[in-house]
Amino acid sequence: MYGKHTTLRLIAAVGVLGLLAIACGGRTTGGTTGGGLQLAVTTKAGTKPVDKVVWAVYRDVNSLDPIYAFDYPENTTDSLLYESLLRQAPDGSIGPGLATMTNPDSTTIVLTLKPGVKFWDGNPVTAEDVVFSLDRNTDARLAGFYPAVFNRVQSITATGANEVTIKLNKPDYWLIGELASIPAMIVEKKFTLAQGSNYGTPAGKIMGTGMYKFQSFTPGVAVVMVRNDNYWDSSVKPLVREIDIKGAPNDASLTSALETGGINGVYAQGLTTLDQLKASKAVTITYGPGWYTDAFIVSDLKGPLGDVRVRQALSLALDRKGLIDAIYKGTAALPKWISNSGTFGYGKSVFQAAYDSSPDMTQDLTKAKQLITDAGAAGKSITIGMSSELTGISIEAAALKAAAEAIGMKATLHSVSAQNFINFFIDPKARVGIDGFFTLNYGDYAGPEALPATFLLPDGSQNFDGYGVQGTDPNAADHAKIFQMFDDARGTADPNARAQKVADVEKAMATDLPWIPVLQPWVPTITSSNLSGTYSSFAYMFSPWAEKLGGT
Amino acid sequence: MRLRFFVRRLAMLIVSLLVASFVIFAAIYLAPGNPIAALSGGRSIPPESLKVLEARYHLDQPFLVQYWYWLTNALHGNLGISITLRENVSDLIASRISTTAGLVLYSSILIIAIGVGLGIAAGLRPGLLDTSILVVTAISASLPAFVAAIVLILVFAVQLRWFPSLGNGVGFFDQVKHLTLPAVALAISSLAIVARVTRAAIREESRKEHVQTAVSRGIPTAQLIWRHVLRNAAIPITTISGITVASLIAVAAVVEVVFGLAGLGAYLVQSAQSKDLAVVQGISLLLVGAFVAVNVLVDVLYAVLDPRVSLGSRAQ
Repeated sequence: MYGKHTTLRLIAAVGVLGLLAIACGGRTTGGTTGGGLQLAVTTKAGTKPVDKVVWAVYRDVNSLDPIYAFDYPENTTDSLLYESLLRQAPDGSIGPGLATMTNPDSTTIVLTLKPGVKFWDGNPVTAEDVVFSLDRNTDARLAGFYPAVFNRVQSITATGANEVTIKLNKPDYWLIGELASIPAMIVEKKFTLAQGSNYGTPAGKIMGTGMYKFQSFTPGVAVVMVRNDNYWDSSVKPLVREIDIKGAPNDASLTSALETGGINGVYAQGLTTLDQLKASKAVTITYGPGWYTDAFIVSDLKGPLGDVRVRQALSLALDRKGLIDAIYKGTAALPKWISNSGTFGYGKSVFQAAYDSSPDMTQDLTKAKQLITDAGAAGKSITIGMSSELTGISIEAAALKAAAEAIGMKATLHSVSAQNFINFFIDPKARVGIDGFFTLNYGDYAGPEALPATFLLPDGSQNFDGYGVQGTDPNAADHAKIFQMFDDARGTADPNARAQKVADVEKAMATDLPWIPVLQPWVPTITSSNLSGTYSSFAYMFSPWAEKLGGT
Repeated sequence: MRLRFFVRRLAMLIVSLLVASFVIFAAIYLAPGNPIAALSGGRSIPPESLKVLEARYHLDQPFLVQYWYWLTNALHGNLGISITLRENVSDLIASRISTTAGLVLYSSILIIAIGVGLGIAAGLRPGLLDTSILVVTAISASLPAFVAAIVLILVFAVQLRWFPSLGNGVGFFDQVKHLTLPAVALAISSLAIVARVTRAAIREESRKEHVQTAVSRGIPTAQLIWRHVLRNAAIPITTISGITVASLIAVAAVVEVVFGLAGLGAYLVQSAQSKDLAVVQGISLLLVGAFVAVNVLVDVLYAVLDPRVSLGSRAQ
């Protein structure tokens, strides 16, 4: 999502022309780029032991408690230290993690811990630890960031020494994705309680199960982790002994450190110096599928954007190809749906077929003008929330203004400071008088429902315009139908059948445009040229991306 | 006399800290942005969590109430808790003092040793040496620290690979190695200014009557320079060195950011951006205190260097 930093980086960054250094031998099942190029979900497994790797994130890590992991630095770190109950593979497919899962009926999820799973201290992971870890998300006193994920959960109970049963109010197959993500990362109950409010802070210690164990957390320096030689799965043998996660202060420092080996790798979010690194022999750049979408959030349905024809006209008038070149130097895809095609973690063939049959969102000014005439919207004005301090956001806002004016509407840019841009997301007062603003947004797992769930559901955290809600949405009744389809998909057990229903919702959203998708960036993985074996898809945010990292 | 001097300075320090704390608190309070938002990188935090967090850090209270909370806690030695790291500000600051202190100290040594050295050389040896030093210092005086940092990184880290470009290092020698480029970047322009002031002071003293008399009486050159020229030139040199070193404390932030050093300055910048009020307050007050302390030290030095100067009155 476009916060301040994320925005700047994502947008400014992915500046790389053509020539994709797709590591040979890496798995390439992650979907295709607009030009038909394959994106890699991993790079070729490393072969040689490495003593230490310094991995950069865009700012210092703030917390090592997973309930507060909500942004790139924390996710990248926690995904090596902790493990979730289920696990997302590099291609986004979900399999067993610390536990295996069964669904005896549509409102019951039974999680059985794998035999021998244990924490770094050697203590076995118990059902009690699992219940404790999941419950922390909804504990109001802790104010974690994931309570909404559990809104269909009635109870979470230990039903055996190694078994936890989740009872639901209503069927919820989306919870499975969350169980393979940050909210289901397991901490040790006894240890966590003993640490109290120090848990996950620089003053405290943590206890996880991951193949890397915590060594130190020094703000401004690094989070240091070392290989867990007692990892419960003895078939997993990471080649790197120590990984330091370090906040890189700015693009120039990051770039010189990558070139001199002071930093050995980074999942870049909008690096302005990507062209320079591309020319450097010291690093290898791999592009993988992203699970995020750059979109225009419609935040007021009472204005001109309440008319679907106006939304469609703006979408048709927008020069997306120009934006992909201007902001991402070609390293992003032209959307067909709201969700990135990288998110097809289940029902892949169903999603891919439906996706391929959907039209690209290309520019068509004639059709757009006709829609404006039909809607009687000529001369009407929209206000776009933006920040002129955020390069990418400015370019997008200017492009949308140009699109509006090209079809006979008026558009005003309402600029705020970079620091205040976030207020469009969290402060309803900041949205007064604004018709919409731009974002780069992602869900918690690889499913095309994960992101729309935040803005399509009436109580979604990013449903800023009250889409589908009586009173704020003039077409609430129609939109309630889309919501019904979505809700139906949420309760559908069979993955392919569910995928079909989600695909139908995506198609409906591509027409109704609750948000207007702009482009879908790829993930650039940059490593020292003598290293290989990381995940190169967005899965690095949730799963152990360094398990096969090593020297080449 | 001495006691009165120190009491007065202490009172000044307290007033400075109080005024600074209020002004800084107000500035951060008025600055745009929401400290809680920095936690999530801008994703929408659930409203219920937002409320709990705002209440925890008193962000839902009016300005003066927030300041009062901070002030009363600070008077009890509790500088508060960082919102982003959920840890005591005093602990967070303590872990970073040594980096900044080391950097400023290293830089000060470079400035005083090389700057004063060059100034003396130029002052005593008119001609080619003097001219070359004047040209070089004219250029380096106009070089801002961040430009110097970038050039140093390009040449000595990326091209020659002599020094690392990022981070603090582990162990004494490694740390010194890591701090070398930052210290040079920080010293380079101040060094030039100190050299030029020293040169001017030496020239001025050399022309004075008592020095000429000493020369005519055949006093050995070394003794002449040490006792008659340098001793008298020491006051202006101390003044400029003091001002320079005190300013390093503030300028260090720029260099720390570029070199990714875990120092107070870089942390101050980062905390100000994320509106982490307690941290900004804690570091700012420490910097204000250090600034005042350096100035007190300079005043004491005046009295030591020149018995005619009494504590509390500025040297002319």
